[in-house]
Amino acid sequence: MTCWNCGAAEPARFCVSCKALQPPVPEYFAFFELAPQLALDEKDLQQRFYGLSRKLHPDLFSRKSPAENEHALEATAVLNDAYRTLRDPIARALYVLKLEGLDVGEQSTKDVPPELLEEVFELNMALEEARMGDADALAQLPGFRVRFEAMRAETDLAVAQVSTAWDATHAKQALTDLRGHLNRRKYITNLIDKTNVPDRV
Amino acid sequence: MAYSDKVLDHYNNPRNVGSLDRTSSSVGTGMVGAPECGDVMKLQIQVNDATGIIEDAKFKTFGCGSAIASSSLATEWLKGRSVDEALMIKNTDIVNELSLPPVKIHCSVLAEDAIKAAISDYRKKQGSEVATPVAQTVA
Repeated sequence: MTCWNCGAAEPARFCVSCKALQPPVPEYFAFFELAPQLALDEKDLQQRFYGLSRKLHPDLFSRKSPAENEHALEATAVLNDAYRTLRDPIARALYVLKLEGLDVGEQSTKDVPPELLEEVFELNMALEEARMGDADALAQLPGFRVRFEAMRAETDLAVAQVSTAWDATHAKQALTDLRGHLNRRKYITNLIDKTNVPDRV
Repeated sequence: MAYSDKVLDHYNNPRNVGSLDRTSSSVGTGMVGAPECGDVMKLQIQVNDATGIIEDAKFKTFGCGSAIASSSLATEWLKGRSVDEALMIKNTDIVNELSLPPVKIHCSVLAEDAIKAAISDYRKKQGSEVATPVAQTVA
């Protein structure tokens, strides 16, 4: 990599030689000068975000060349996307899985354990029965919600534990486990959404 | 997103919703899911052990309209086919029949996986029966 402006070798965010802003690094952790990690210090991330927001604000580049102006716009866009993704533990975990080639969206059905599917299927059946039923059945919906929210809280705990484990070991198994927990969490979140009492005419 | 008329038809009048006796050796059960969308699909076939023909098929899907339509259509196509013929059903056949848009192709993949899983379950049951013969009283 060389500076787009002066050709100096290995420019940082700003070229060490001519100080011109470089095109942003697209990878979110690298953008914040962090190593990929699951259990990151969110306070520290916020500090980095504020610091970079001040340095990269497009207004600061309005009198520079159009190319540098463009880089400021791109950098601000990456900054906002990166912060939004990395500050949330679940979005961050999904992002790390993608980086590590275990994208949740590209799983085959064989990656989803049958026990999880059985469990989700049974919960859906019970929930559907309550939703389609009379007033007594509908009255069970808030109870379902409480139960599902407790399940989600358990899953969040499991995500936090396996996150710490992966940061320490970078073991592939930890990521596979993480994906399993996130799959379950997504299913539970879906179930929670269905616990609202349906509108009936 | 607009669903095609055929998707809407299957969604509003799903065919063959229900379940078959899971413990029967003539019944194969396939349970598949796509966690990203929150979909879970159960598809079952009842096979005539003598002819190898699928005599009944049932499904129950929790998911979007396209997932319901894909599995509903799959059960329609399965009935009357042999197990081998059923394995030839491809997700692209479902996509074409239901005019699924690119973002819903994974729903048809799910249905194809469910068919394969059901058949594999059926074959496993049949195979294991051969492997561990039940004591029989010879007349």
